[in-house]
Amino acid sequence: MANTVKPPGTEFPPPIDLVDGGNSVGRRTQHQSVRRPPGRLQPSLITFAIGALLISLVFFIVPIALIVSHTGSVDKSAWQAFFEVVQSRLVIRVFLNTLEISALAAVLSVLLAYPVALHIMRQKARWKIVCLTFVLMPFWTSILVKSYAFMVILGDDGLINHLLRAISLGDGLSLMFNRVSVMIGMTNFLVPYAIFPILASLAAQNPVILAASEMLGASRWRAFWNITFIQSLPGVLAAFLMCLVISMGVFVTPALLGGRKDMMIANVIDMYVREILDWQSASLIALLLLAFCGAISVLLLKLQSRMGG
Amino acid sequence: MKENSEMQRISRRRAVLKAAAAAVALPWVTVSRAAAQPLMVVSYGGSYADALKETIAEPFTKATGIPVQFLNTPDLAKVKAQITSGNVAWDIFDGSGPVIMAGSNAGYWEPIDTTIVNTSQVVGGIGRDRVPNYIFCGGVAWNREKHASGQPRDFKEFWDVKKFPGRRALRNRASETLEMALLADGVVPKDLYPLDVERAFKSLDRIKPYVQKWFEQTAQMVSLIQSKEIDYIYAYPNRIRVAQESNVPLDFSFAQTLNAYNYMAVLKGSKNRKAAMEYINFALRPDRQAALADKLGLAPAVKGADALMSSASRKWLPNVISPNNAFINDEYWGKHYDVLDKRLKEWILV
Repeated sequence: MANTVKPPGTEFPPPIDLVDGGNSVGRRTQHQSVRRPPGRLQPSLITFAIGALLISLVFFIVPIALIVSHTGSVDKSAWQAFFEVVQSRLVIRVFLNTLEISALAAVLSVLLAYPVALHIMRQKARWKIVCLTFVLMPFWTSILVKSYAFMVILGDDGLINHLLRAISLGDGLSLMFNRVSVMIGMTNFLVPYAIFPILASLAAQNPVILAASEMLGASRWRAFWNITFIQSLPGVLAAFLMCLVISMGVFVTPALLGGRKDMMIANVIDMYVREILDWQSASLIALLLLAFCGAISVLLLKLQSRMGG
Repeated sequence: MKENSEMQRISRRRAVLKAAAAAVALPWVTVSRAAAQPLMVVSYGGSYADALKETIAEPFTKATGIPVQFLNTPDLAKVKAQITSGNVAWDIFDGSGPVIMAGSNAGYWEPIDTTIVNTSQVVGGIGRDRVPNYIFCGGVAWNREKHASGQPRDFKEFWDVKKFPGRRALRNRASETLEMALLADGVVPKDLYPLDVERAFKSLDRIKPYVQKWFEQTAQMVSLIQSKEIDYIYAYPNRIRVAQESNVPLDFSFAQTLNAYNYMAVLKGSKNRKAAMEYINFALRPDRQAALADKLGLAPAVKGADALMSSASRKWLPNVISPNNAFINDEYWGKHYDVLDKRLKEWILV
């Protein structure tokens, strides 16, 4: 064959590797796809993938197939039900609502997570563990307990407003049962998901480059923006994507903390499943949500790999 | 027939569904084999199930030797999964009107066997496939610490935001909420049905700016006024009573209530159909009805049980004969719940 393939690792790394040490998440995948001819996987990787494949088969693909089997089940044809769903004002409104809340929550979570990740990155090993434990704390607390705790903190009769009134700063703020409380509740729950991908992309950077920039006289800000931040962008995108997709399916937090306009698509699916017993519509909405999240993921991952190259 | 064609379609998918249903039903199936065919009763858990166990299930087991197992929660989606897969693990379903009616429309309940179940003393609400087990009610509740006096007492006053300023909370579901809106607008309880839906939504338009929270969970009836986030709420008195007993200063007005039945039904294809009917008959005995009502602060569904209750509990009974109070018509909701609930949820959003 004309285009014989060298085994991986025998090539010289392309010069761009000098910039990121060949380690950053986005770029590594790029390089592998450059080195490998299309359509050939390394055999060792396939064995590693079997476990994950089995798990996703049992816990993802089979349930999804069951959901698909429900779309054509009852008196209506799947097409008829599909048109009813996409023409339903309730579904459209709630879907746009969900998108708006999720996007805002994802942006805020990334903004909040970045400085934390940067701070953790700069700690010594032992402190890193302590910091990561704090980051993981919200994971170990029930979402219901947290929501009630927020009511105690943010409520009209809550801690913040008591404090504001005590120092005579007006009548207090309206922090509860509106978008503010939903965002506080959701970012509290999402920030850990954002910290880890950002931390990974920061940790993969070669510290020598930063030192070099300082030697060449770059200010700390310039060095941060042009070196650290730019290289961490794939991590930032991954964090954004993770938060966005997770929040598209959230429904407890907005239901407990939100106002009347904070209804999520998951609540509508729940209504169709349990109250109206229309599993056909419920399945269709769930599949549309899945397709939408899938499309967004593909777009963002494309953007991420372009950023890497 | 609709049911027949549904069954055919189901059998085509049976292979796939069976696998899923087996996974869902496995824990219950194993339990039922281990304990020699106990009766499976699905109900709301917590103190509610404890009361059912103490006042009905344990005396029933003592009298008949049939063990009873309680499960949470009356979720119609799980009934549908069991019946469509032909793997019925639950026997008795204990649920509120809209859920029972939706199940009845879908044909999920066995007809009540009147040769076993004595329904002659039941005060109302009996259907071909359902029997009421108690009456509950909803009305206006508040926090005594925040509003020691001058609270709205009925639905008209609840709507009167000038005389009773404050933040309100209502349920985000159509049943009860539309009735409340019409009573607040001056409809006489006996003329409530069929609901004047347009008038109800017009009435809701007036209160909308003052409703801070359209809540989903029954538990929020207490937490929202306990935390003083909400001034006046639509709540069930049995919840308020439990809160009072643990020294939370909440109060409830019986000046006007919406009364409704809670029902028992037997799942179609139940393996313990006869025992289930016997359980239902036992649960309708006046002394058992009184004991349950005493414990839960609910009204008995059979004649002659009121007199057997303690005087402390009778204070918490809804008045089911007052012309000022309305009875929820579950037959109406059985036909209109889907459309009206979607409409209400959409209305809440805009």
